[in-house]
Amino acid sequence: MPRLLLFYQLMVRPLLREPIRAGLTVLAVALGVAVVLAIDLASVAATGSFHSSMEALAGDNDLEITASGGVPEGAVGTLAALPYAIRISPRIEDYALLADTKQSFPLVGLDLVSEGSAYEQDKAGSGGELSSAEAPKDSIEYLEDHESIWVGSSLGRKVGDRVRLLINDRVREYVVRGVYPDSNGNESAIVMDIAAAQQALTRYGRVDRILLKVPQEPNLDEWQRRISAALPAGVEVRPQGTGTNENRRMLAAFRWNLRLLSYISLVVGAFLIYNTISVSVVRRRPEIGIVRALGASRRVILGAFVGEAACFGVAGALIGLPLGRLMATGAVKLMASTVESLYVSSRPGAIELNGASVLLALAIGVGVAVASAYSPAREASLVSPVEAMARGRREYDVSIHKVRDLWLAIMLAIAAAAASRAPAVAGKPLFGYLATILLMVASALAIPAFVSVITAFTSKLLGKLFGVEAMLASRSLAASLQRTSVLVGALSTAIAMMTAVGIMVGSFRQSVVLWMSNELPADLYLRPAGSPAADRHPTVSLGLAEGLAKIPGVVAVERLRAYEIRFQEMPTTLASADLDVLDVVRWYQNSEFLSGRPERQILPELRHSNTVIVSEPFAYKHHLKAGDTITLSLGETQASLRIADVFYDYSSERGSILMDRQTMLRYLPDPAPSNLAIYVSPDARLETVRTEIEKAAAGHRVLLFSNRELRSEAIRIFDRTFAITYALEAVAVIVAVMGIAGALLALVIDRRRELSLLRFLGAATGQIRKLILLEAGLLGLLANLAGLALGFALSFILVYVINKQSFGWTIRFHWPVEILVAALTVVYAATVLAGLYPAQMAVRLNPLEAVHEE
Amino acid sequence: MPILALQDVSKDYLSDGQRVQALHGLSLNVERGEMVALVGRSGCGKSTLLNLAGAMDFPTTGSVLLDGVSTSSLKDEELTRLRREKVGFIFQSFQLLHTLTVFENVELPLLLAGKTNVREAACERLAWVELEGLGERYPHQLSGGQMQRAAIARALIHSPIIVLADEPTGNLDTTTGNVILELLLRLTHEKNIATVVATHSLEAAALADTVVRLRDGRIEEITRR
Ligand SMILES: Nc1ncnc2c1ncn2[C@@H]1O[C@H](COP(=O)(O)OP(=O)(O)O)[C@@H](O)[C@H]1O
Ligand SMILES: [Mg+2]
Repeated sequence: MPRLLLFYQLMVRPLLREPIRAGLTVLAVALGVAVVLAIDLASVAATGSFHSSMEALAGDNDLEITASGGVPEGAVGTLAALPYAIRISPRIEDYALLADTKQSFPLVGLDLVSEGSAYEQDKAGSGGELSSAEAPKDSIEYLEDHESIWVGSSLGRKVGDRVRLLINDRVREYVVRGVYPDSNGNESAIVMDIAAAQQALTRYGRVDRILLKVPQEPNLDEWQRRISAALPAGVEVRPQGTGTNENRRMLAAFRWNLRLLSYISLVVGAFLIYNTISVSVVRRRPEIGIVRALGASRRVILGAFVGEAACFGVAGALIGLPLGRLMATGAVKLMASTVESLYVSSRPGAIELNGASVLLALAIGVGVAVASAYSPAREASLVSPVEAMARGRREYDVSIHKVRDLWLAIMLAIAAAAASRAPAVAGKPLFGYLATILLMVASALAIPAFVSVITAFTSKLLGKLFGVEAMLASRSLAASLQRTSVLVGALSTAIAMMTAVGIMVGSFRQSVVLWMSNELPADLYLRPAGSPAADRHPTVSLGLAEGLAKIPGVVAVERLRAYEIRFQEMPTTLASADLDVLDVVRWYQNSEFLSGRPERQILPELRHSNTVIVSEPFAYKHHLKAGDTITLSLGETQASLRIADVFYDYSSERGSILMDRQTMLRYLPDPAPSNLAIYVSPDARLETVRTEIEKAAAGHRVLLFSNRELRSEAIRIFDRTFAITYALEAVAVIVAVMGIAGALLALVIDRRRELSLLRFLGAATGQIRKLILLEAGLLGLLANLAGLALGFALSFILVYVINKQSFGWTIRFHWPVEILVAALTVVYAATVLAGLYPAQMAVRLNPLEAVHEE
Repeated sequence: MPILALQDVSKDYLSDGQRVQALHGLSLNVERGEMVALVGRSGCGKSTLLNLAGAMDFPTTGSVLLDGVSTSSLKDEELTRLRREKVGFIFQSFQLLHTLTVFENVELPLLLAGKTNVREAACERLAWVELEGLGERYPHQLSGGQMQRAAIARALIHSPIIVLADEPTGNLDTTTGNVILELLLRLTHEKNIATVVATHSLEAAALADTVVRLRDGRIEEITRR
């Protein structure tokens, strides 16, 4: 009990006397916790769900059979002929859009006749998908009907409803024959008979996946081996769900980097907790001395201050929880669209705020608070009773070892430089992250020296420029060096991150813009309508390309085809281009190849040959270079392909392989193209030709983009992708500015004696206000300078190490000057504005009370 | 005309809803070249009187005339100007800013008033208080007596007509305190200013031209030499 009372009197009461400052500290923790939680929740929701979209109806199978470009249907017969009791479920798996709402759903074609009965037999075991379908009994007769579909209940359709679906570039009408309950609104799929699906997708003679349920004995590896042996070489047998894991692995870098970015606010928050507790310790030194003299042990004092921090942590976490949940809603939208355009089809799952997230929030909040409070709390516990009481209320200058810290900083910076040269560990830029952390610590250590040097050299000059108030402001910042350093550290960390990520994103954007100016040679591009997820390649109807080629003014129509394949257990895009049209294509000046050789030289090498070019991320991830040979499973065979060169590709992080159309057709004979690139004669009017093309494609659901539209679309996607990083930085800056406001409040309270004295000495109230605003401005200036320097260093690590090792892109360094200037101006203005309320408080101080209070 | 004239001044404070009368109908004149010592027990109203005299606070009834102007009638800017031009303050605990050098501390009132080229004046004032050569030091490098001298130099930097000192010797030993008071007395006469010093040391008060004994907010006795 007495301890609690002591805790109340020593810790809680002083806080209650300054509700605004305590509130700001709690809010800073809350924001830090909220951001981490939001990114955590959102990334689970946004990237966890791609798994469910196709696995929804997969049931409990052991193995899956896949092949690039589809498994030949004959494999089903081969498997059925094997003398084993295996359940065989061939699947067509693609996507369909509801034509009215443009909502996208997995489209699953399965053998309803045999699977229906198979499910009938083991109702108990299977995950309850179709077996629990509430299809009326007589729907059996529609099973093989090509207009029949079965839908999840979350679609809100009834049996007998007509539904128009956009599949590839065609809209067809279907009739709902049954509705099955879907466990979760996000896992709904559209089911049809496998033959109907093959017809709708023009995917004859092939299925996308064959799912197998094998007996328990012998083990799975043995089954995998036995079944592989029975199938053609290009066909892969693997445990079911391997693709999901591969996808997850592909997304790991993306998730990692976002998560790490979300910790920045927390780091900034930690600085502020540290500052708050330090201020508490300094202010309560006399009280600490008294209670120590009265017999409180060092442990009690340490516990009291750590306890105070823990209270901030708990309060922050409790506010951060709902806040994080709210932010997650926004984050999940942004992340899901990024995942789609860069990686893989996904639909955001539900955001689940469960016990684990509550624990996470509490752990983060309390952990950060306690960790950052530990050093000032220890300082407090070391106070000797006599000394503390003797010193009176005067500000206690915590001893800072400026010079020693500067040396440490220099050593850490050297270590950071060394770490940044180390290679990736298991595909993760761990040493890159280490380098950023080392640099941030180095900067924090160098800040006291930086602040004292800058203030020492500028206080006279500032006095000349801005009057005596500026000199006083500069002197007082230098005098409370420890406090100033922590604040400058917090704000400069936020600014550094903003600068670094700003430079990285700006450089990346510039690289994309430059790249695109060399990359898109055609005048018009055509693709099937629907969501352009990176792993979906809907096709354009056969014959359309040939029809368009006949339109007057069209010089050539290039047919591009893409498949989603796997290479060395990583999702990859395999694409082909019509190199026959190269004769009519105009060439760009700049090389888009790592070797620097012009396209004009490289592309002809691919023609009709087993030669490919691969994207930079692909080459990076698989450690390949020009001249190497790769082996791909294509259709039934294994193809050996020579890499002619590596091309820059910023459109997607997944690797891509490009070959000649003729080469591809030899392995994967499906002639339907995924995209058309249309070259228009320079003599024809583009608009006229475009209108003609639109007319010719009237029966198809396709999208037509001009070269310019495609570019701006790409940039739009790019900007959307990075919107979330801007949001994360903004929160970090807000946390820092809140900290500045809180710290200035504390400063006003701690310096009321000095401020009152100035009134006695003839200062006008305006001068007092100016003094506080100048301190805010000076803090902002110091933080901007330190932040810019650190940010510049960090941006090199981001661009050349972390980005390269995470994603494999080579980014050209570029200064986004306007953005940086604008951002820094906003931050600076916010810092000065943060001083307004403390300045008003300073003006309202009663000078009589303060100056006589001793 | 007296530099400072208190006419039937009363001052009430409200503390915790209770009305505390710090001064009761008190009248007093202070002339140029005169040092007035305010003596009396703690709580008798010395500080209150000084605050009223320096226009840092205002009487509840009655009026305080500084150089013939009633302080109650002035607006905030006029009060600031008054302090900048006419009043110098000296405090018990010196109240030097430890982030500034002695020079800068002494110059501060002029700097706050927007003056430039103030070093000469500061040198001169430091000479008055016999601190020549210590201008570049920081306050913590001075002894208590030296700090109070620096504070006196600061109080005189803008050539005020009145200097108000609240227990200026309270933090000093008796010998040093007396030296400080003698210095103040000398400067009062030499520079022909008015000085009001609150003190509870009768020995110290004995130096002053006029001793005003306060008791419970009233003047008990005025002794002139
Ligand atoms: N701000 C205030 N609020 C309430 N009472 C005050 C205030 N200032 C002074 N007093 C009271 O007025 C009386 C005179 O105080 P003061 O002038 O400080 O005395 P002295 O300086 O002689 O010790 C005392 O009773 C004191 O408690
Ligand atoms: Mg007093």
